[in-house]
Amino acid sequence: MALLQIAEPGQSPQPHQRRLAVGIDLGTTNSLVAAVRSGLAEPLADDDGKVILPSAVRYHAGSIEVGESAKLAAASDPLNTVLSVKRLMGRGIADVHQLGEQMPYRFAAGESHMPFIETVQGAKSPVEVSAEILKTLRLRAEQTLGGELVGAVITVPAYFDDAQRQATKDAARLAGLTVLRLLNEPTAAAVAYGLDQKAEGVVAIYDLGGGTFDISILRLTGGVFEVLATGGDSALGGDDFDHAVADWIIQQASISSDLDPSTQRSLLQAACAAKEGLTDADSVELSHGEWRGSLSRTQFEALIEPMVARSLKACRRAVRDSGVELEEVGAVVMVGGSTRVPRVREAVGELFGRAPLTNIDPDQVVAIGAAIQADALAGNQRDDGEELLLLDVIPLSLGLETMGGLMEKVIPRNTTIPVARAQEFTTYKDGQTAMMIHVLQGERELIADCRSLARFELRGIPPMVAGAAKIRVTFQVDADGLLSVAARELSSGIEASIQVKPSYGLTDGEIARMLQDSFQNAGGDKAARVLREQQVDGQRLIEAVEAALQADGERLLDAEEREVIELQVQELRDLLAGNDGLAIERQTKRLSQVTDAFAARRLDSTVKAALAGRNLNEIEE
Amino acid sequence: MGNPCHFALFDLQPSFRLDMEQLAARYRELARQVHPDRFADAGEREQRLALERSACLNEAYQVLKTPSQRARYLLAMRGPELPLEVTVQDPDFLLQQMQLREELEELQDDADLAGVATFKRRLKAAQEQLNEHFAACWDDEARREEAERLMRRMQFLDKLSHEVRQLEERLDD
Repeated sequence: MALLQIAEPGQSPQPHQRRLAVGIDLGTTNSLVAAVRSGLAEPLADDDGKVILPSAVRYHAGSIEVGESAKLAAASDPLNTVLSVKRLMGRGIADVHQLGEQMPYRFAAGESHMPFIETVQGAKSPVEVSAEILKTLRLRAEQTLGGELVGAVITVPAYFDDAQRQATKDAARLAGLTVLRLLNEPTAAAVAYGLDQKAEGVVAIYDLGGGTFDISILRLTGGVFEVLATGGDSALGGDDFDHAVADWIIQQASISSDLDPSTQRSLLQAACAAKEGLTDADSVELSHGEWRGSLSRTQFEALIEPMVARSLKACRRAVRDSGVELEEVGAVVMVGGSTRVPRVREAVGELFGRAPLTNIDPDQVVAIGAAIQADALAGNQRDDGEELLLLDVIPLSLGLETMGGLMEKVIPRNTTIPVARAQEFTTYKDGQTAMMIHVLQGERELIADCRSLARFELRGIPPMVAGAAKIRVTFQVDADGLLSVAARELSSGIEASIQVKPSYGLTDGEIARMLQDSFQNAGGDKAARVLREQQVDGQRLIEAVEAALQADGERLLDAEEREVIELQVQELRDLLAGNDGLAIERQTKRLSQVTDAFAARRLDSTVKAALAGRNLNEIEE
Repeated sequence: MGNPCHFALFDLQPSFRLDMEQLAARYRELARQVHPDRFADAGEREQRLALERSACLNEAYQVLKTPSQRARYLLAMRGPELPLEVTVQDPDFLLQQMQLREELEELQDDADLAGVATFKRRLKAAQEQLNEHFAACWDDEARREEAERLMRRMQFLDKLSHEVRQLEERLDD
């Protein structure tokens, strides 16, 4: 039955329905999902009216528990309850030992170098654990919004490296979400803040979460959010404050620091409670076993001072990188639960010479910003008609290993994305036919101090004297901040390329197995879901093509070209009525192919249209 | 058909003196048209094209807004390809560079933050002077050699200011 729908001016244009897309803040401690509803971005609540989902996953023999109840079981069932899994994303097992002596899990090595956590349900990778959190939020969103999602914008710390971003994207894929974009958390916060306050000018976003710290300097100009520089530390957050307090308790109570997992967990909980208590109180009472004591705010501030100082150092560097003077920063916005700590606010205020803004909800602002972008990416018009544009940067330099174990930068940090850059290399031995390409990320000169992202080999170089071959290596970073690398020998045209799937990512085999597992758990309705996806893809393409034809068909196509496209559209439409998924997929591909040239012409014409009526300088490069 | 030149993309006549505000505004306008976010909903090919176009636009903007890169680009437009690394025949300038680097080392040894700030101001003034000088001669065919020398000097000063920034970072520890 058709319902009569009334649309407010500027709202979802008929006959197209508003397309459902959400923003997800996948946090170390807490996660949220938000969506734009009736023109307003807001977090979505669960059945109990709670918007915050603790990022806690507990594995039982036959089921999985996510959220508050799982978090509460952390001390009683520490090995099967995973908290702060974000700190493990995209990390190697060696990194974990380095950063996580206080993580009460049993780790097992998998096919890749990822740290798998042993649970009653077997070994779980951080990607799978994160996927459980995402799945819970996806279901909440689908229930609340009443339909399937077109996709989601998922936020990541700006300082996440390529491996950490890729791991997040894999988790979304496992959770059955289409990722519209990976969005940097401070940028998301800037969008929410900027649109809400109608802010213009230079803004600093100081984002201290549970496990990560970001600082971003942005310039806001009429709906354009241009990141000038970003910096941070992807292993610095409120969790570290807790660890500092826990260490202090161990010292004060003179107990051994070699604790069993359950004691470790309850100690961290006590430390966290003390930290939170000190936001308002000048001192808090603490106990651990027999030991009783009190911690004053001054003592606490001394414990966390090294970490606060680290964050300020990153701020100064970001300001220097941004090319603006400290005085030009018009507003400093505090984001993330850990910015509730009074000493953090005070220190940031001193550095920037102005009181930081704490009036927006530091827990919700990232999800809200992500929801606004998700809504725009899904093709929905904004109510105020202002089009958003987010111009982000890469947080860490990308480069290649050269002779002598040195890293040669190809793309420096804080370069605006998308970006493509090429560098030429040559062979160093007579008759050399292969070359190893080692891709690195980081700021240091020695490769040992940088993160190794991937290695691949260019083979089949024609034998020449040393120095005669020309090998061009091209780096491309997309709008998600993800890197792909291609290498090409110019005289022979021999090529090799990879989507960087780093040393610390899951192997394709692991992903395939996990996807299969999740389908099995879903109760065998895989075929139905696949068909549904094929139908949605086909329908989306038809809508896109028809909109394009209506807009530019007359101008850019001749009658014959148009007829070919329309014919293929009709064929796909006929197939969509049926259940033959394979045929739908094939025809969708065919339609996409016949519209390729049209798509390219449209894109070119948008640039020309932007220049229309002006004196086009016809100099060719 | 090649890519239109960076200046044409921004609807500007090739020139060293540019209105930076206007350039930035133009960049934002163009970025709106080609950014992949506009094509999140489109087909795979269209998304790939948007990615490539955006990368080109970002590259062009980067070149035009950075004086040394803009200078290099202008010279390359009018003459033979300029090698990235050459042996610079500019003894006076090189001598001065060595002195500046020594000065910088002393500042590091003394951890002299105020000294670094003064050094930065002097460096900036020197850069502005070079820019003025280049603007006056780059399009004069007879002064091509001079223009190339100035462009190399700009690159040197860029490297130097990068070193100053690294020094600031070290002193911040």
